[in-house]
Amino acid sequence: MLDRYVRKVLVFALLLMVVCLVGCSDTEEENLVLRIYNCQDYIDEGLDDVGNKVSTSVMEDWAEDYKNRTGKVVSVVYDTFETNETMLNTLKTGKTTYDLCCPSEYAIQKMIREGMLEKYDHDGEYLYITNYNDYASPYIKKVFTESGLSEYAVPYMWGTLGLLYNPEMVEEEDLDSWGALWDEDYKNLASAKDSVRDTYVAGVMYLNHDKLMAEREKYLNGLITAESYNAFVSSVMNDTSDLEGVARVLKEMKENIFGFEVDSGKNDIVTGKIAINVAWSGDAVYSMATAEEEEEVYLSYKVPLEGGNVWFDGWVMPKGANKELAQDFVNFICHPSIASRNMEYIGYTSPIAGDEIYELAYDMYYEEDGEYEIDLTYFFDGTISDEYLEDGKVIFRTSERNRGLETQYPTIEVLDRCAIMEDFKDQNDNVLAMWESVKLGEYSIWLTVGVGAGVVVIIGLGYYIKALKSRRKKNKKLDW
Amino acid sequence: MLKIRFQRKHLSIPYAIFLILFIILPLLLIVYYAISDKTGAINFSNFVNFFKDKNKLGLLSFSVIIGLINTILCLLIGYPIAMLLVNKKYNKSKVLFLLFIMPMWINFVLRTAATRDLLYWIGINGGEMPYLATMIGMVYNYLPFTILPLYTTMLKMDKTLIEASYDLGARPHQTFFKTIIPMTMPGIVSAATMVFMPTMSSFVISDIMGERKISLIGNAIQFNFDQSRWNDGSLIALIMLLIIVIISLLTRNIQKQEDARGSIW
Repeated sequence: MLDRYVRKVLVFALLLMVVCLVGCSDTEEENLVLRIYNCQDYIDEGLDDVGNKVSTSVMEDWAEDYKNRTGKVVSVVYDTFETNETMLNTLKTGKTTYDLCCPSEYAIQKMIREGMLEKYDHDGEYLYITNYNDYASPYIKKVFTESGLSEYAVPYMWGTLGLLYNPEMVEEEDLDSWGALWDEDYKNLASAKDSVRDTYVAGVMYLNHDKLMAEREKYLNGLITAESYNAFVSSVMNDTSDLEGVARVLKEMKENIFGFEVDSGKNDIVTGKIAINVAWSGDAVYSMATAEEEEEVYLSYKVPLEGGNVWFDGWVMPKGANKELAQDFVNFICHPSIASRNMEYIGYTSPIAGDEIYELAYDMYYEEDGEYEIDLTYFFDGTISDEYLEDGKVIFRTSERNRGLETQYPTIEVLDRCAIMEDFKDQNDNVLAMWESVKLGEYSIWLTVGVGAGVVVIIGLGYYIKALKSRRKKNKKLDW
Repeated sequence: MLKIRFQRKHLSIPYAIFLILFIILPLLLIVYYAISDKTGAINFSNFVNFFKDKNKLGLLSFSVIIGLINTILCLLIGYPIAMLLVNKKYNKSKVLFLLFIMPMWINFVLRTAATRDLLYWIGINGGEMPYLATMIGMVYNYLPFTILPLYTTMLKMDKTLIEASYDLGARPHQTFFKTIIPMTMPGIVSAATMVFMPTMSSFVISDIMGERKISLIGNAIQFNFDQSRWNDGSLIALIMLLIIVIISLLTRNIQKQEDARGSIW
């Protein structure tokens, strides 16, 4: 009797405990979590080349730092995605929620349009991302504010889209135009991206080559300002009115190139399978370093003269995010010391300037006896110590052109012909249909008719033979 | 308290759950997506659009052709190999058999990526010859799937019938076509079905080997899902499913010897 009573009490106590535990994990005070959804290999995770843990990751350091400042323990959940589309799909299904995501600018535009994002606390400047306010490059600040994304996003990495090439296998002047991808001399030696946006840039720039070069001539002769030149490039790149023309040139390109690629291009150019690769500046830096180390090949990178794409990836907060934690993390990684760590780790370029970043670039690229002077004042202006300035300017001396330095930090002349590529908006379906026809190919209706007829004939023949056989069998049986 | 007495049929519960969750439910979802539009309303516009689009139909036909070529090549190469493997003289300890089946145990994306580099090394460049490279990749990947069913059918083949055919004065080629082929027909059919459909709907091999310049119907499915166009993607998947159903209905007659079909599993 007593036994049963005790058991009941025990069960009750156990239940109570479970309820208590569940309840406890819900209270934010005790258990702070920051959920981050980032692109693959896009932050210092403290791993070496083969994936062994060799140092602390940026996330761990932030958690440590946060604990020291506030005394609160916070844990970080870190997930990664491969493409912006995957990320959008994941967020839309709503199975998992995140406090921070790092999509590209067009995906950010899309998310803003669909009301998926929280705003940063902002009054002309970010209220809590003080490191960005203090250290970000003035150029990036200006472009990003003009793009209209700054209320919802803080830039994380930026770069250009251009052509990475092996100077030993190509004529350097040919790379001044996107036309290199259409050049018969480089048949089966170039690869393009298997992504509608990046390939669209190549197509639309090639299609409008004459127009763009004429405008460039005017700009070089001082007839128009850099701003209006840039606006022109932007209008051409974001023009989706001549999809048929773009489809036509892209189909021609498909016949001429080695292939489309997602990730294999940056290795193929190292091994010499291809000589030209449409590449993002960050990947180009990676390829250059690998090629130099492994094959002693010196690759170069150019943004063709018609113009190109300047892109941003930024941190955004999906609806329902823990804004306080998220903004604290973004502020942390915007500090030049952390930004330089991430830059070194992933090879992309941070929008953050400041002394640490300057020193990193200096260590990597500065050559005292270099014959070329690269002026990067536009980028570092106002963020670095006076001791690094030469006559008020930020000058890098280097002996090589079109290599790592100019890939990571293009000169302002290059950036004048680079525009932000916007989301295709209501033209999205049409652009996709165009890309589909390029990728999946076009077929004559007669192929279908032929195959259909063939299938019918084969099936008919099969049944005919069967009928023949069974008749023969019957006959045989009669004979027996 | 209600007592559940354990019965043997309860052993099937895990599989039943698996069946519902991972086979029937996804199938219903595919059907739903295929017959609805973006807003979720049910209509058949996807179907109409697919059969109106000569490029999509062409892609399907092209995939059928590639599938057929691959099936024929796999059978032509795999059949003699299977005969060789069954012969105890050459395959004493089944080591040879293992060698042919072993590629199946390696992850096929990895295997295909390695094939790409290997072919490049011997001068077959996927950029220059995307069709040839894709075909080689296909044959290489599906050959084990051809050999396995052929091998198991041949193992069970009644050797005395072959001897009988010789005794009755048949020449070797007559014996082959009139005795061996009919006896191994079930193996041929199951090998063909195991190669034909997966070839059509594969997209990784054509992507890797053809440098993404060659698209099969599988690439179309992947393309649509990648671009969040689930309805179009599901529709193509459903059409492929219907083709499978039709093919297995048509080949059912040939596979009257049920045990031969079952033997590969």
